Amino acid sequence: MPGQIRTRDVVINGLWVDNPVFHQILGICSALAVTNLVINTVVMSVAVIFTTALSGFTVSLLRKWTPRVIRMMVETLIIAFYVILFDQALKAYWPDMSRSLGPYVGLIITNCIIMGRAEAFANANPPGISLLDGFFSGAGYALVLIAVSIVRELLGMGSILGIPVPFFSTQLDRWIIMVMPPGAFFTLAVIVWILRSLQQSRSGETGK
Amino acid sequence: MKMHDKVWFPVLYMFLATLFFSAILIVFGAFTRQRVEDNERIAFERAVLEAVPIELAKRISPAEIHRLYVENIRDATPQTGGALLYMKDDSLIAYALPLDGPGFWAPIKGVIGIAQDMRMITGIAFYEQNETPGLGGEITKPQFRNQFEGKKLATGGVPLEMRLPTEALDESSVHAITGATQTSTRFADFMNEQLRAWRATVEER
Repeated sequence: MPGQIRTRDVVINGLWVDNPVFHQILGICSALAVTNLVINTVVMSVAVIFTTALSGFTVSLLRKWTPRVIRMMVETLIIAFYVILFDQALKAYWPDMSRSLGPYVGLIITNCIIMGRAEAFANANPPGISLLDGFFSGAGYALVLIAVSIVRELLGMGSILGIPVPFFSTQLDRWIIMVMPPGAFFTLAVIVWILRSLQQSRSGETGK
Repeated sequence: MKMHDKVWFPVLYMFLATLFFSAILIVFGAFTRQRVEDNERIAFERAVLEAVPIELAKRISPAEIHRLYVENIRDATPQTGGALLYMKDDSLIAYALPLDGPGFWAPIKGVIGIAQDMRMITGIAFYEQNETPGLGGEITKPQFRNQFEGKKLATGGVPLEMRLPTEALDESSVHAITGATQTSTRFADFMNEQLRAWRATVEER
């Protein structure tokens, strides 16, 4: 049956094989913008996971009713709904974090990963598995972003999650460019390079 | 012909979907609005207290901040040039002048405290900014803010000069932030402009 999709595949695809960031190069805008401090990245990742998972679920729930001609409008509406919900909750219950993420939470609406999953997966699959698919695509995004932010904060500020790391905060000069925009490009490029090489060498072994 | 295939169906569907999701957001927005406004108010009150300065405990509740603010701070009047007053036993301790101007990405809003001699800076604090975290965002960190304490506004020229971190300081200058030239100069510009305007108004009275 072609509709049968195994949970295991959804997990592996989201995190590794079709990882949105390093495989599909999606969601790069926020990957570059919010990764200079680990804590910002973690909250941003939670917001993306929340949105991909629940918007996938909702799009899938409505898929039999939504007219094809307006499906992208409906998807955008659903995505915007969850993002605004998250943004508003942050403003009310964690104002400091809301202030430090600035406009980036709102900009999740335009994150192509979410629209991509709604179009490529949730439109054609049942709600349960769409929720999982969204969750793991978001988690794949989170994984790469957190890796980038750890490198940037460590080299740029000598700390992780604001806690000074010995050697990096004492012996090494703060590498300011790492917390500035260029640092994001360097770090992301190197991480994508490493992960893709790894992916290719592994798929070479299995003959995939 | 099923309802699904009618021409008007997509229009009705979109309308209902928008209505449904917007309704939830409106309810949620109304539910949290008070909280969001309170958060903004408390952020401002906290900045005022930090600028004059009143020592705040590390883990202080919003209610406690509000209580300290109400007890110690008097509202601005035309005579004070827009500055709030820190009063203790009916005598003036310091002015708290709100500052507001463009940063690199978004407006920067803060409060600068000036002693009752109208020269000595008692502190500075920010309650709204969206500068780059780790760079311009460092204006909110103690390393930057602590330099202001005890500085004196220059009587002629620039009241409080922002200098390169490699340059020497005098009693009326502070160091800018490395890697955040735009934030530093923009902030220095509007701060000095507003300090001058404030001094002109209060000295006139």
